Amino acid sequence: MVDTEDRAELQLAHGRLVRGPGYAAAPRPTRQLLARVGAMLKLRERARYYVHAAGVVAPDGRAWLLTGESGCGKSTLTYALARGGWPVLGDDGVVLERGPRGVTVHGWREPLRVSIELEAWFPELSQQESRVDWQDDRHRVDVNAAFAKRATIGGVVVLERGERDALSPLPPTAALAMLVRQSTFLLLTDDHARSHLALLRHLIECVPCFRLVHTSAQLNAVHATILSVAT
Amino acid sequence: MTRYRIVPDALSASLSDGAVLLHLYTKRYFSLNETGSRIWSLLEQQATDDEIVDALVREFDVEKPEATRAVNQLLGDLVAEQLIEPISG
Repeated sequence: MVDTEDRAELQLAHGRLVRGPGYAAAPRPTRQLLARVGAMLKLRERARYYVHAAGVVAPDGRAWLLTGESGCGKSTLTYALARGGWPVLGDDGVVLERGPRGVTVHGWREPLRVSIELEAWFPELSQQESRVDWQDDRHRVDVNAAFAKRATIGGVVVLERGERDALSPLPPTAALAMLVRQSTFLLLTDDHARSHLALLRHLIECVPCFRLVHTSAQLNAVHATILSVAT
Repeated sequence: MTRYRIVPDALSASLSDGAVLLHLYTKRYFSLNETGSRIWSLLEQQATDDEIVDALVREFDVEKPEATRAVNQLLGDLVAEQLIEPISG
């Protein structure tokens, strides 16, 4: 992996991450980014696949993936669920692994961040104004949440912002297409691509998939919305 | 009568309502409906275009001219997207 801007390199060789030219001298954020991608690739060699989706654990112990295009509300609804006591597996990415009882969703723990502009719905954010990242387009702030390490998959929800709230079944092919779109490493041309795609297909075959078109009303209702279709 | 080969860089995943195809080098992905998915599975079995049309007429409620048009359209799209290529000879 090469960061072309800072000319820093991190290599994955025989299952180990090795610092390459420019890595030690690169700025910390660059090293962190390379290390993050390196960890994802290392997991891939162990048949654990990173997917760009949020993950939460419902009261029955099952994991729900929330996915969709950038800005679809993954982080916001993840935090809404976390406030209601649903442990978080990740708000921007999780790791999938095929297991004996379906697909296991492993947590990818990174700070949960939501926009300070949501304080009308999440009043506790008003105490965080001094910690807002104003350089960030969405003016986000790190928030606290309980994290889970792993859970067996229970369902998939593809999120879309809209003018009316509506939850509807999503055809399997449409759900798989969305997960493929959110799985960048699937496109690496190595021996893992086929097993990665096979895992995503297996996941879709295992669990129900839905499309949730949502408004801000879901900030208070998303728990009940998901529970209404959880089997 | 033409036979086609699925290129090695094409990945596919079939589901109950269709299939998703992915080309590893062009980085493009495609969704197929149930009929398209059946055509893809016949391509995997190295069926010719004529054999694919015959199979669709047998298996779906479709007349031969319509099936021929649909098969030619999809095969043309798949060739254009470099997911399959005609086998010469």
